[in-house]
Amino acid sequence: MRVVISEDQALLREGLARLFRDSGHQVVATLSDADQLLATIERERPDLAVVDIRMPPTFTDEGARAASAIKEQHPHVGVLVLSQHIETTHAVTLVAHAGFGYLLKDRVLEVDEFLATAERVAAGGSALDPTVVANLVSPHDHGPLRRLSERERGVLELMAQGLTNTGIATRLVVSERTVEAHVRHILTKLDIPESEDSHRRVLAVLTYLNGDNDT
Amino acid sequence: MKHLRLRAWPAALVIATLMIEVAAVALSWGLEPAWDTVLYAIYAVTQAAVGALIVSRYPGHRIGWLFIADATFTALAADLAQGWGLRAAEQGWPGGPLGEWFSLSSWIAAGPLGVLLFLWFPDGHLTRRGWQAVAWASIVGAAVALPGWAMDPDLGDQFIGGRNPYAVEGAPIDLLLGVGMPLFLGSLVVAIVPLVQRFRQSRGVERLQLRWFVFASVCAAVVLPTVALLWSVVPAVRPLTALALTSIPVAAGIAILRYRLYDIDLVISRTLAYTALTVSLAGTYTVAVVVLGAALGRSSAWATAGATLAVAATFGPARRRLQDAVDRRFNRARFDAVQQMSLFLDDLRAGRAAPEDVERVLRDALGVEDLDVHLVLPGTALTVDLSGTPVADDPGNGRGQWPIRHAGTILGTVVGPTVLAERGSLLPKLLDAGALAVEVARLRVELRRQLDEVEASRARIVAAADHERRRIERDLHDGAQQRLVSIGLALRHAQHALGTAADPDVSRTLDDAVAEITVAIDELRQLAGGIRPAHLDAGLAPALRDLARRAPLPVEVDAASDRFPTDIETAAYFCACEGLTNAVKHAHATRIQLTARRNHDRLVVSVIDDGIGGAAARNGSGLSGLTDRVAAHGGTLTVDSHKGRGTTLVAEFPCVS
Repeated sequence: MRVVISEDQALLREGLARLFRDSGHQVVATLSDADQLLATIERERPDLAVVDIRMPPTFTDEGARAASAIKEQHPHVGVLVLSQHIETTHAVTLVAHAGFGYLLKDRVLEVDEFLATAERVAAGGSALDPTVVANLVSPHDHGPLRRLSERERGVLELMAQGLTNTGIATRLVVSERTVEAHVRHILTKLDIPESEDSHRRVLAVLTYLNGDNDT
Repeated sequence: MKHLRLRAWPAALVIATLMIEVAAVALSWGLEPAWDTVLYAIYAVTQAAVGALIVSRYPGHRIGWLFIADATFTALAADLAQGWGLRAAEQGWPGGPLGEWFSLSSWIAAGPLGVLLFLWFPDGHLTRRGWQAVAWASIVGAAVALPGWAMDPDLGDQFIGGRNPYAVEGAPIDLLLGVGMPLFLGSLVVAIVPLVQRFRQSRGVERLQLRWFVFASVCAAVVLPTVALLWSVVPAVRPLTALALTSIPVAAGIAILRYRLYDIDLVISRTLAYTALTVSLAGTYTVAVVVLGAALGRSSAWATAGATLAVAATFGPARRRLQDAVDRRFNRARFDAVQQMSLFLDDLRAGRAAPEDVERVLRDALGVEDLDVHLVLPGTALTVDLSGTPVADDPGNGRGQWPIRHAGTILGTVVGPTVLAERGSLLPKLLDAGALAVEVARLRVELRRQLDEVEASRARIVAAADHERRRIERDLHDGAQQRLVSIGLALRHAQHALGTAADPDVSRTLDDAVAEITVAIDELRQLAGGIRPAHLDAGLAPALRDLARRAPLPVEVDAASDRFPTDIETAAYFCACEGLTNAVKHAHATRIQLTARRNHDRLVVSVIDDGIGGAAARNGSGLSGLTDRVAAHGGTLTVDSHKGRGTTLVAEFPCVS
């Protein structure tokens, strides 16, 4: 996997680069701001761009805007946005693109999981930080979500995080068949159309969750 | 006013008149009452001097020449001739009766000059050519009447010798007088008409001029017949005739030369008031003397003292009453204006009027729309209007300004059309009376400005605090948190470098350290979010939704995705936070409704719960801090919380889209 890293903090930038190299990936460029990001992507055509959401000069959403630009011009480059804080709106909007991930920065400390997620995004899958998903599926939600069992709710959250059936089975230590059954139940209960495309499935689930909470 | 220098001709005539009068006084001295000699001499000299002053200032002014001509003629034909007549009879000089004859007839010859004075005053021109006829009528009348008068044997009564030496027996005296006198006297009366017309149509300067002249003429018209009636009863009033006649040229001179200097209205009203006062006090004195004299015995010193006391006691109140009555009757505009101001001051004291109304009262009282009251704010060089808006110090073209003083300080100015200066002392009097209202208005403007300043400074303080929160939040996220992540990563690298061959204890220790770091990062995130939620960067609605999601009970959010100024969004967010916290912690609510909507040019945030109610914005409580925060943005916070009926918290912020 060829990776471009854009992160203004030198220590973290180097740490991330080493993390990818240690796991046998190729870091083709490291940048300290968003200015050269698009040009570098254009030149290097990496599999994945890791982008800090806050970067100079204003430290608000330079990273988010750069990420959207990359997605528009190079839909096949996976983009993984890293943030210091939970931000549901940005996150959910960004994940509407395929091959997009949004994670809190401290997820990198769970190295294996982080790398798996990065690879999934590079391959065109989705990733949404569990905290963000947990915010969407708040405990006192009323309506259809109440009809889900505890286990089904857990599966729904993993679906929203972007995990595939296989990923969910591994995480929950159950068989893939069981997961498939849960997924079918959930989609029926919430009236979400089934889809073979994993990204579309994530999108449908997120739209459902987000919409339910916003109205 | 520029310095006046007499021109050669007028000066020569004044000197000639003066010398003639000196001669006349010398001749008459001791042969008639001294006042008669002196006062008429003064009359002629005054008239000449006024005329000379007028033509020196306005060369060719007909009124000036008219006065000079009349003075010279009167001095020669009336005074000098009379003096010669008296002295000649005394000393046996020749030509005495001729002098007397001239002197007795001269008034008819001078008559047309008086008619011209009325027709021409004040500018020396006729209002209409047609009035020429009146002048001609008086000249013809005088020309016809004069021979009749001069040749009349009946005139002999007034000669020292008791006989008119120039009487012509058989002359058509009756015819001449019968035709000439009505024409002559009639023209004198008719000449008043254009003067009255002028007076009624006049405005501004001309009206002021005419007031002086009309005042003096009316005085003369009252005094002359009165004196004639009292001639033999009260000889002491006789000199008044000369004084009244002298007042006409004096008034005309003031009118033409210096009308701005004196306040004719005041002169008129004081004259009337003091005349009435004198009469009534004299009456009071007489009655008191008679009554007390009867009670205490005649010629008692007590009676005189008592009467004096009574008069002294009545003087003050009587003067005020009479002045009021005079003003009410003869000086309506002034009386009304002063009355209006004093009614306004009563209303002001009773709280029925605002001090700022003083401007409207001044406009009404003076009948001027184009009038403004400007205030000078103490401690600043700033001039403002009554609403506190700064205005230019310069009154502008065609406008003047008059200071408003109170207790020795200048509170401000009245800016209005320059014609206000012609109202004499009325404006200063109104300003004196209204100064109190202006002072109160100024204090209010000052207070308002200071309040504005305090509000602005509170807004700045809150903005600074918000800014600081934002900085701290950034520092936590981008500083401490990132560093912890870096340290965690370093530990992971170490773990990786050690590989699978490492002591499992060491690997576990590293895992624990990373877990600790993760907890620390999470705590820092919570802390930073409490200081200022990063969600606010994305707008109020997302931040509120996030707030609702993290709440431990169902919160319904209705928020439009409009954006508002950052500081307003921050304040609105904290209102919602505080409302939620109250509902969760104190109100034991089960449901909360959170709304943020634009309502015209206001952002309205409301938090409604179904809890126990009874919340109040006590000092130091979260709600009172919130009130301050909302007020700092010019907004309002209302808390409606009755026991058992839930709490509704509504914050409204002004925001221009």
